[in-house]
Amino acid sequence: MAEKVIYYAGCFANYYDPEVGKALIKILRRSGIEVVLPEQKCCGMPMLANGNPEGAKENIKYNLKSLARAASPDHDILTTCPSCNLMLRKECLAFFESEEARFVSSHVYDAGEYLLRLHRQGRLNLDLREMPLRVFYHNPCHLKVQNLTREPVELLKLIPALVVSGVNTSCCGMGGSYGMKKANYDLSVAIAEKVWREVKAASADLVVTECGGCKLQIESGTGAKVLHPLVLLDQAYQS
Amino acid sequence: MTEIPTIFVLEPTAEESQRRAAGTLIRKESRPDLESLKTHLREIRQYSRDHQAALLEQLNESLKRHPRLRLVSCPDARQAAAYIRQIAGKINLVSVNKSSVVINELRPELQASGFKIYVRYFTEFKDFDKKVQDYWDLPGLHQRGLVESFDVSVKLTQLESAETRDYLAVLGVNAISAEDGSIFFLQHLSNISKDLQQAKKVVLVITPEKVVADKEAALFQTRCMGIFGLESILLDLGPKELGQYDFEALPIVPEDREVHVLILDNGRGTLLVDGYRQLLLCLDCRACARQCPIGLHVDHQGWVWSPKNYLFGFLQGWVSSTEACLHCGRCEVECPVEIALPDLIWEAQFEHYARHGRPWRKRLLDNPELLAKFGSLLAPLSNWVKDTPIFKLLMEALVGLHRKARLPVFHRQTLRKWAREGHRG
Repeated sequence: MAEKVIYYAGCFANYYDPEVGKALIKILRRSGIEVVLPEQKCCGMPMLANGNPEGAKENIKYNLKSLARAASPDHDILTTCPSCNLMLRKECLAFFESEEARFVSSHVYDAGEYLLRLHRQGRLNLDLREMPLRVFYHNPCHLKVQNLTREPVELLKLIPALVVSGVNTSCCGMGGSYGMKKANYDLSVAIAEKVWREVKAASADLVVTECGGCKLQIESGTGAKVLHPLVLLDQAYQS
Repeated sequence: MTEIPTIFVLEPTAEESQRRAAGTLIRKESRPDLESLKTHLREIRQYSRDHQAALLEQLNESLKRHPRLRLVSCPDARQAAAYIRQIAGKINLVSVNKSSVVINELRPELQASGFKIYVRYFTEFKDFDKKVQDYWDLPGLHQRGLVESFDVSVKLTQLESAETRDYLAVLGVNAISAEDGSIFFLQHLSNISKDLQQAKKVVLVITPEKVVADKEAALFQTRCMGIFGLESILLDLGPKELGQYDFEALPIVPEDREVHVLILDNGRGTLLVDGYRQLLLCLDCRACARQCPIGLHVDHQGWVWSPKNYLFGFLQGWVSSTEACLHCGRCEVECPVEIALPDLIWEAQFEHYARHGRPWRKRLLDNPELLAKFGSLLAPLSNWVKDTPIFKLLMEALVGLHRKARLPVFHRQTLRKWAREGHRG
């Protein structure tokens, strides 16, 4: 049986940026790992952020059941969205103290973190072409608070000739739909200005970040092209 | 028995810190172990929270042994202010330290009682050049394995002072020992030690969570407050437009001084039985403020900012909303006692909506997956529509999304659809 992982794509990779999910599936397939997309609903974070804990609880319950069944007996669960990752790894435990919740929480990895682990084990296909690019990396809050700050940069550095010309770990102010709301817009822009300044000063060829919200915020304030690191990695493969 | 309990004031000890920093570069084993500090601190804080009634009783007994000390317990800030008004006599001038309880909870009531109040800490900034603008500019001491050290710089055991001036000092205590009543302050400038030596009447304000088992625990907790809160202090270091007053220009008066200890609950007893017990682990170091993205931008209206104070103020009723919180989670990571502040802020919001109803705009946005399904189904039409000025205006008026907000692009072929069609790489 081929090695398999379970992919929790979340809303952003499913509806707004399918290239991210496609990239993950293609990268893992090149390393001989099958990706399974089980039934899933929104991770529930937008519901919490908009004051609907019951709705969030319902979705979390659904996801835990589906993911635990798919990942049984011992498959890893990958996410490409930092907030979904935080929900499945940490927040779900605040709602459910079940065996299912503990199982899912202990099997969830950020996809970049997982790929780097594969690389350290010598199992990641590295048939990569040179990409002479200067990239600026923005570390989303929900990865930073899980101490996943260095891993994404290390992953990017696997691409030959690519230079990480700058790293930013401050908040971009978007916070899901927070920065889109009229009530928060000015505050969100004030927070984002620092990130925008650094992106502009870096004069990089493109900006890389895992979070869909950060991507929108950086694009809107700088006009820069923003990609998920997995999309860039996928583009670097020879075939 | 001394006339008052011993009062210790701790300050940063820069020289020792420099030596330690130099040692850090040379010997790996000399690096301070932050995790062991946190572990011991958590033990102290948990003991304090879980034995609060017994510790308060023990503290009362300890303080009664000091003849010049006047002890009072007040259930809320209004009664505390009434007590202070009563003991102040003709004094109308008050100096306060930059303590969360004094500035955020007591000061409004004192002002309502007619006192003129100055935060002497701010008076000490003259021609100040602020160098640290936000958390990005901070030195990041802990990430580099560096710990600033704090030690006792002032020790008071008596009230007599030849520098007495006719004003009242209201000072929030950082830690107090239930065993012997030893009182601890942390100061970064010199405002607290000056007030302790100069104010004719001194009111030491103690909230129940500041009471710890013994002197050793109180000293350790105060040091930790300095260590973990230092970078937040650097962020907030600077003059404030709150008015300044030169207390040293006041004439010297006879030494007839008073020290009052005021134990103020102000809603904390309720927190013990409600779902916010974690908050009573807080030592008020303000480490949670270090990386808070909204801290520098929200109008604090003069109160001592920290994400914890933001929530605490909401629970106590002096902050109207916690909606500005981004839920980035950075405060929880910084907290040395690991208080799950983002979860508690959510909890407080849920309770608020349960009591007062949830705004309908929130209801419209709480299921983005449903919106995404429709948007994807109707793409590319939905993408054209969402970028039209009329749609943006409608969204602003009806849903509360800002007209300039950049909305994501819908894809007709979702990832699941792509996977179902067999394109697995």
